[in-house]
Amino acid sequence: MSFLSSIAHHIPDWIVFCQALIALLVPILATRIYKTLHSFVGTGKNLDTNKVSQTLESTRAATPFSGDYQTDLQAILSKIGSNSDLHTREFPLTKLNARGTLFCVDGMQNERILNMKMMEFLMFKATGDVLAEPSKAEDLLPFSSLSTISDIDNFNRSVLFGHAGLLIEGMPHGLLIEFPNGANRSIDEPVSEALIRGPRLGFSEVLSENTSMLRRQGFSDQLEMKSYLVGTRLQKDLVIAYMKDIVNPDLLQEVQTRVNNLNSDFLADSGYIEQLIEDNYLSPFQQVQNTERPDRVINALLEGRIAILLDGTPFALIVPVTFSMLLQTPEDYYERWIPGSLLRMLRFGAAFVALMGPALYISLIAFHPGLIPTELAISIIETRQGVPFPALIEVLILEVSIEILREAGIRLPKPIGPAMGIVGGLIIGDAAVQAGIVSPFLVIVVAVTAISSFSIPTYSAGVTLRLLRFVSMMFAAFLGMFGTILFFLLLCSHLTKLKSFGVPYLTPASPFRATDWKDLFFRAPLSLMKRRPAMLKTKDSKRKS
Amino acid sequence: MFNRTDDKITTSQAGVFLTNTVLGAGILTMPRSITQDMKTPDSWLTILLGGIIVMLAILLMVKLSQQFPGQTVFQYAGRIAGKFPSKVLCLLLVVYFILIAGFEIRSLAEVTLFFLLEGTPIWAVILPFIWVGTYLVLGGINSIARVFQIIFPITILVLLASYGFSLRLFDINNLRPVLGSGVLPVLHGLKSSVLVYTGCEVVMTLVAFMQHPHQAVKAMMGGIAIPFALYFLTIVFVIGGLTADAVITSTWPTIDLIRSFEYTGFFVERLEFPLMVIWLMQMFCNFCSFFFQASLGVSQLFKFSITSVIYVMVPLIFLAAMVPKSIQDVFALGDAIGTMGLTLFLLLPVLLSFIWIIRKKGLKQHV
Repeated sequence: MSFLSSIAHHIPDWIVFCQALIALLVPILATRIYKTLHSFVGTGKNLDTNKVSQTLESTRAATPFSGDYQTDLQAILSKIGSNSDLHTREFPLTKLNARGTLFCVDGMQNERILNMKMMEFLMFKATGDVLAEPSKAEDLLPFSSLSTISDIDNFNRSVLFGHAGLLIEGMPHGLLIEFPNGANRSIDEPVSEALIRGPRLGFSEVLSENTSMLRRQGFSDQLEMKSYLVGTRLQKDLVIAYMKDIVNPDLLQEVQTRVNNLNSDFLADSGYIEQLIEDNYLSPFQQVQNTERPDRVINALLEGRIAILLDGTPFALIVPVTFSMLLQTPEDYYERWIPGSLLRMLRFGAAFVALMGPALYISLIAFHPGLIPTELAISIIETRQGVPFPALIEVLILEVSIEILREAGIRLPKPIGPAMGIVGGLIIGDAAVQAGIVSPFLVIVVAVTAISSFSIPTYSAGVTLRLLRFVSMMFAAFLGMFGTILFFLLLCSHLTKLKSFGVPYLTPASPFRATDWKDLFFRAPLSLMKRRPAMLKTKDSKRKS
Repeated sequence: MFNRTDDKITTSQAGVFLTNTVLGAGILTMPRSITQDMKTPDSWLTILLGGIIVMLAILLMVKLSQQFPGQTVFQYAGRIAGKFPSKVLCLLLVVYFILIAGFEIRSLAEVTLFFLLEGTPIWAVILPFIWVGTYLVLGGINSIARVFQIIFPITILVLLASYGFSLRLFDINNLRPVLGSGVLPVLHGLKSSVLVYTGCEVVMTLVAFMQHPHQAVKAMMGGIAIPFALYFLTIVFVIGGLTADAVITSTWPTIDLIRSFEYTGFFVERLEFPLMVIWLMQMFCNFCSFFFQASLGVSQLFKFSITSVIYVMVPLIFLAAMVPKSIQDVFALGDAIGTMGLTLFLLLPVLLSFIWIIRKKGLKQHV
């Protein structure tokens, strides 16, 4: 009897059972929401391949040139003739005794040269064989390229994209001469990834310039670039670059599949591609690295990674990416190894502060003042005496204003930026303390946090940490130190589940790869780095023979 | 292949997995529970002796598991002992895992409420913890092993550093006399010293997940050697720092040791704060390990999908954690778990190996 009663005594009351029910429902609901969201958007991995190829087919349904000059001219003009920036010029070809028309778009060609040299050639020198067989006649041409095109729609697209087009009586195809030459900016230093020491070259918006920058990094016949046309409505060139003898073929296959599966009518920036090919779009962490630096790209290629370059953007993408890459800069390798390693460790520390600083402040001040030295605790609490808010609100006020300041600083014209920094940082910070809204100690904490987050070399990783900082503050506000630890564990759990193109995000920390630790927190002397990262499973693992 | 699709863990991961499973609440309470039974400062001898016994037990479990490559105990028990009896045995093992998970999480909640969050309702501590654990466990053994790999070095570093700093309190005389009351108290404390290693039963499922099962002995011995060494250090430092008499009266002797000295001028004057942090993380590992093992057991025994089993486990573990009414109940539960662990050890690996040897060698059956 006593045994039974002791069991009965230990059966918890109904409140506990209700809590158990909640314990069951929350994860199920969370998973349900997660799965719904996931299936709603889909990932880069499993897009519908058939649909994409169909749309491409339909846009490519072609009308060939008929061969009759008048009909073809009419067909072209009826399709694109209404564009006001399209110039057409009809002229006679004396040697052929035929007529021809030159098409070009404003601003894409050097008009003077077109008029003078080419017209002279076309009108007086061009013969049938030269134009019919461009490959044989290249020496004779006063222009850099000549190609035939047999389909009117393609011809129209090329002309509007900036090629100069030719239609000549008696020829069953159109001719394209001269590549487009639109307005570009000059090559600049990479704005988002400045260095003290190292090459100052940054990518530009022109794909051919970017690929040439990669080629110019060194002599090699193994650097391979494969070109793709992406976008269903406005098509663009995309290049996948890799080292043929290093890259893992499975990885290359995976990247190619995902790029082939891109389905969007226009890809404005490589950011579009990043979002369409990433593994998990619900993760706050980026799974593709973007960079403006050719030296960074080439180093990644030599490690066995793959770069994706898109026309029209200076940002190249590197896959796969691991977490530690986001906190490394090329300068770690350009400087000697001791300062390189120390600066890198400093950055890891800064990332930790940027993520956890305010959360630690909240949990130590609001929950466990006993854990910090008594004198410090007393002086902090004294300065907080006039502050009417709980620690969370106090931190939020300052953190949100810092974020607004930073966001405003990006948009402002360059000359005003520093002025706003002074107004925002110094005056508002000081006034907020004077007014008793926040405590001076908090201003220190928030400032240190903000500066730490500036020291993260990859801008998008910095944004991620800024965002997660607010989450960590919430955890700290609810459960103090316990909540902060829970947040850390949650983050670890998430990061260990995350993969970028099949490579676990936290490699080499976990799964543990001892050989790759030489280049994690610590940058070993170059003479010791004899192997490529093991995590990429490259074909050729040795850097040195 | 570039993309790994098999859910296997490396040798070092397996070792760390075992370490993190065994190293749990014991760090904080073990010096008291053993010294209470012995009443002499010789507990370190007991820990050594207990460790050796556990190592032998693990060796037996590894050898048994290696006979059935790729299968966990939940799968091969049926092949050895027949369907029904093995199901009963394995269910006992699952219940045991659930109870440990509940016990760990409850002692975590008790420590948190006592040292960090006074006045917070207990469910507010337990529920988020279980949910975060659920998120991790849903990722499978690979994710769990990776998190263990991140947390493990942090734990070791902080733990050793705190013990190192406590050296100023250490007095070798507190550990004397060695064997002052003879060998008998050492044997007396043996039971509670074996209990600190509860959870080493996971070996019987872990071997199945190893990428190179032939290295299992190495991995598991390495994995148990670390908690073995840490427990030994803990008991030497705690008794050396606090004396055996003080340890018996303290609820959480290890924390008391770390709290009892200050380094003025440090940002953190008392090392109890970092110790609490790593201990909470360690408890998380511990809890996730048992959570995973229990779910794995049910899903393999009854052929359910592991995801749904994990969800069902959540309220069960919560109830297991809420059943003890007071801290005395919690410790009583801990003792009960220990006894249960011993029984299960006799029932599962020993009995199974026995039957297996008889069937294989005696009856020449193909198992």
